[in-house]
Amino acid sequence: MKLIIRKLITLIITLLVISFLSFAAFSLIPGDAALTRLGQDATPQQLAALRAEMGLDDPLPERYADWLAGALRGDFGESYRYEGTTVASLLSQRLPVTVLLAVLSLIMITAVSLPLGIACARYSGKWLDILVNQLTQLAMAIPPFFLGMILTYVFGLTLRWFQPGDFTQPSEDLAACLSYLAFPALAVALPKIAMVVRFLRGSVLSEMGKDYVRTAFSKGNSENGVLYGHVLGNAMIPVVTFFAMVIAEILAGSIVVEQVFSVPGVGRLLISSISDRDYPVVQAIVLYVAAATVLINFAVDLLYQLLDPRVREA
Amino acid sequence: MQPLVEINNLSIRFPEGESSFDAVKKISFTVGAGEILGVVGESGSGKSMSALALMGLLPRDAEVVSGEIRFRGQDLLAMTDAERRRLRGQEMAMVFQEPMTSLNPVMKIGKQVGESLRLHTDLPAREIRERTVAALREVGLADAEAICERYPHELSGGMRQRVMLAQAMITSPSLLIADEPTTALDCVVQAQILELLKKIHRERGTAIVFISHDLNVIREISSRVLVVWKGQIVEEGSTKEVFSSPRHEYTRRLIASYPAREPQDGKGKPVLRLRDLDVWYETRRGLFGKKGKKQVIRGVSLTAREGEILGIVGESGCGKSTLCKTILGLHNRYAGTVEVADGARPQMVFQDPAGSLNPARTVGWILEEPLRLRGISDREERKRLVASMLKEVGLDASFAGRRPRELSGGQRQRISIGAALLMDSRLLIADEPVSALDVTVQSQILALFARMHRERKLTILFISHDLNVVRSLCGRIAVIYRGEIVEEGRADDVYEHPAHPYTKLLLASVAGRRAAGEDGRGPERPEGAGEAFLGLTDQKTERAPEGCVFFDRCPERCASCRDKRPDPTDLGGGHTFRCRRGQPA
Amino acid sequence: MKRKKNYSLTVGGTLTLVFLLFALVGQVWTPYSPTAMDSTAVCLFPCAAHPMGTDNFGRDILSRVMEGSGSTFFVAICTVLIGGAFGTLIGALTGYFGGRADNLVMRFNDILLSFPSILLALIFVSLLGPGRYNIILALGVLFIPSFARIVRSEVIRFRELDFVRSARIMGAGPLRIIFFHILPNARVSILTAAAIGFNNAVLAEASMSYLSLGIQPPDPSLGRMLSEAQSYLFQAPWYAIFPGLTIILIVLGFSMVSEGLRAIRE
Repeated sequence: MKLIIRKLITLIITLLVISFLSFAAFSLIPGDAALTRLGQDATPQQLAALRAEMGLDDPLPERYADWLAGALRGDFGESYRYEGTTVASLLSQRLPVTVLLAVLSLIMITAVSLPLGIACARYSGKWLDILVNQLTQLAMAIPPFFLGMILTYVFGLTLRWFQPGDFTQPSEDLAACLSYLAFPALAVALPKIAMVVRFLRGSVLSEMGKDYVRTAFSKGNSENGVLYGHVLGNAMIPVVTFFAMVIAEILAGSIVVEQVFSVPGVGRLLISSISDRDYPVVQAIVLYVAAATVLINFAVDLLYQLLDPRVREA
Repeated sequence: MQPLVEINNLSIRFPEGESSFDAVKKISFTVGAGEILGVVGESGSGKSMSALALMGLLPRDAEVVSGEIRFRGQDLLAMTDAERRRLRGQEMAMVFQEPMTSLNPVMKIGKQVGESLRLHTDLPAREIRERTVAALREVGLADAEAICERYPHELSGGMRQRVMLAQAMITSPSLLIADEPTTALDCVVQAQILELLKKIHRERGTAIVFISHDLNVIREISSRVLVVWKGQIVEEGSTKEVFSSPRHEYTRRLIASYPAREPQDGKGKPVLRLRDLDVWYETRRGLFGKKGKKQVIRGVSLTAREGEILGIVGESGCGKSTLCKTILGLHNRYAGTVEVADGARPQMVFQDPAGSLNPARTVGWILEEPLRLRGISDREERKRLVASMLKEVGLDASFAGRRPRELSGGQRQRISIGAALLMDSRLLIADEPVSALDVTVQSQILALFARMHRERKLTILFISHDLNVVRSLCGRIAVIYRGEIVEEGRADDVYEHPAHPYTKLLLASVAGRRAAGEDGRGPERPEGAGEAFLGLTDQKTERAPEGCVFFDRCPERCASCRDKRPDPTDLGGGHTFRCRRGQPA
Repeated sequence: MKRKKNYSLTVGGTLTLVFLLFALVGQVWTPYSPTAMDSTAVCLFPCAAHPMGTDNFGRDILSRVMEGSGSTFFVAICTVLIGGAFGTLIGALTGYFGGRADNLVMRFNDILLSFPSILLALIFVSLLGPGRYNIILALGVLFIPSFARIVRSEVIRFRELDFVRSARIMGAGPLRIIFFHILPNARVSILTAAAIGFNNAVLAEASMSYLSLGIQPPDPSLGRMLSEAQSYLFQAPWYAIFPGLTIILIVLGFSMVSEGLRAIRE
């Protein structure tokens, strides 16, 4: 319990540090918000007035405190690009789409890679393992956006299983939305499936070589009995940590893949905001992703404690 | 009567790329029901292979080329996997060397011990639980109920090995294979496990195949012995016969005693002097955590004089290695004084020959490094000195071009000693320098130490857990327990008249001594005499800082020991010990 | 010592060398000028004159792929050099000396490493602006933590080994121990990390250029070609296939090299 509280405190400190760093970084960029909004033709007087109005002349810590106070209420200010639109409303449209995409690919990854990884370890050196080894190496070498293009070409343009660009919002028709998202989700998931399969296989095999496995065999366990009764419990411990990284990678993959499939999610918003220098939106997205990553790591830490008795009271 | 196990012409081969390596060459032997068969041989001799083949636990790449293995007359190699599985864990069970890694780290003890019953019987869970608790009690774990709920990492090495025995014995198998079951354990715990095995054998009539590299252990426990050398049985017979009149060359070398000790007067001037030394580690939890202090050495005063070999004896974790580090200046969290004589340049020889030489460099580079550090910049000069040092430590000059991984353990230790001498060291600190070596190599390295001591008038601080080794080399010894010196004196005094209960316990648990009596061939001890050991624990409790260090394990303790640390008592001739009984009441 | 055949290393090394050569040739000679447009040869199917076909402006795809591979290698090599040099230095020093600085640096490292690297690269680019050198700077800095972590863990592993203690007892100084005693043992690990780093750099640069936030025209880039090819996916799939395939094979080469190196280490 004490450990959890300590981890929680570290988590909050981490989030504060990240948010401050990202805020400070964006404040250093030449060409501030007032300039962006008024354009190059603005007179110095107009600029000064707007700066004062937007509070851009205040010292950095003060502006950070204001921004943070807003952020905690879910208020990230207004977008520079879409005047009169709050960042929060922009995000609230996009967030469900990205979450849906991420969850869909996470399901795909878990459903395929866990059984496949275990099977590869169980039959290591056999044809299945060798085949999967080659395929996974290939899958990890394909850039996710190119994979997306291949899927678009095969399933969209040739087989016509979906209409590229014809995305349906989940609020309108969830089933249609899911049947569209399945393809970008696959593009995100495939390289990660390859990573997890290899990692899990390696983890199981390295456990198989340990002394306790010999003990388990000496008691009369069958091959499967040893694998499922003894090895898997140990082999999953590092895999859990690995999954934290995989989830972060899913978020990264969806940034690019949303672009390929024209999915109106957070990733696409981020890219267009970066191109348009719409910094309030970028900042908000960075904070969201940071919070998500840190929380996932926290959850994984807790899960780790649950799986491994050795770290529980240490 | 039909033997329990019958092995005929068994050959086991490991493929190695194009060629192959025969680990076992046409071995034949039997194990009678209810006997204890000792199998002795050095590492890589193939002594464990036939036992692993019998269990069906050979490494995946090993291949049984020829022969048959019969258990109660049935041919095991002709059986299906399922049939063999039925025997494993039920009719035959095994205990391994490393208690630390042989248990599943994420499974509770109770579940692991009861597993064989779950696999081989239809007993209800409650019954299994009861038998598990009973099995744990039988191996001397009094708090069996609580131990069922614990995980392996919460137990000490000795307790884990008891758990291993409990899980092997829970189905009452007729054969127990013990593969170096005491090698990883401290002296006292080793004696406990041996006693436990004897008790199991006596009460249950289980046949035991006891595999070890340690002759003394084999001699103590087994009635019949096989000597295995390079995959073959070179000698077989009753333990008494084999030990009293060994026929094969290798057996003779194995039994040959350590080199005789040279006389040491111990009157030279002090080379090393420790006074009231306290050593600790700082512990800190996380980035912002509180600082803590973990004391490892407490109030140690010790002097090593020029030209003597001073032995330091203690079990693992007693602070021996920390003491070395502090003397050598590698650890600076200490209070008290460490004085090293001018020009002594203390150097160290480490235990693990695998880690003591830089794997990325050649032997020549490694031996030149001390010379470079001494500022000898002439390359030819360095090469010449290295070549002559290689000869001095008994190696050929061509070794300079080799890499550490091409060398054997003994050769590596020779290089380590050579490197220390090239620093022109007058004080050598050797931390368990022979523990990782095979018995025959051990005596060679000990002989090298003795020769270096004689020829160079070296002062050597020799640290070891092995009382036999220490006695063969050292003139004076200090016994250390949990960071404190409990007894110190001339080796003969301490061995003949131990005063501290811990020293007595250590000496009583030395395998060779117990088996053969004090004079080396005396009567065997009566059955069950060692049971006094069984009650002792090696689980270390949090100690009272002011009490006697040995309080929680001491068989002779009294209430006042708990909170008063005894002062040293002088028995004359430099023989001192720290125990309440030495002091006036 | 017998040498086992290291199939991964051989194939991966060959693949890498072939494409490196391909890219180097592209720096001095290409069949056509990569920017020359030919309105009579728009979206040509691969043929003898244009082995990889032409794009929507009639530019020769082979020439553009050759030049683009050059950028890919240039960015990847610079990135790994920056990340590798600084990462090794930081990892070696913090690992050897430990203490509070180590704790702090590694905590920071862990935070950076737990973020998706492409997101961090995007943040960098939004701060610095896109372009070849900014990408190199961004990715190079981002690769420092992964190198630092690997080198640090190696140094910590070796620091506690007896041969290092022995060198300390003999009076070797910390820098001598780090660079002459420890790092030679970490060579294979560092090389493996470099191969993985190349791999990630190629993928990251391609993704960023695809998102138009990486290498900017007129500098050639495979990722950018792919983003342009997307609109012509139906009429001219070869426009996407060849640059895509080139990226895959370059990455595959590096990943096989890293696998081969890992086999050596074990």
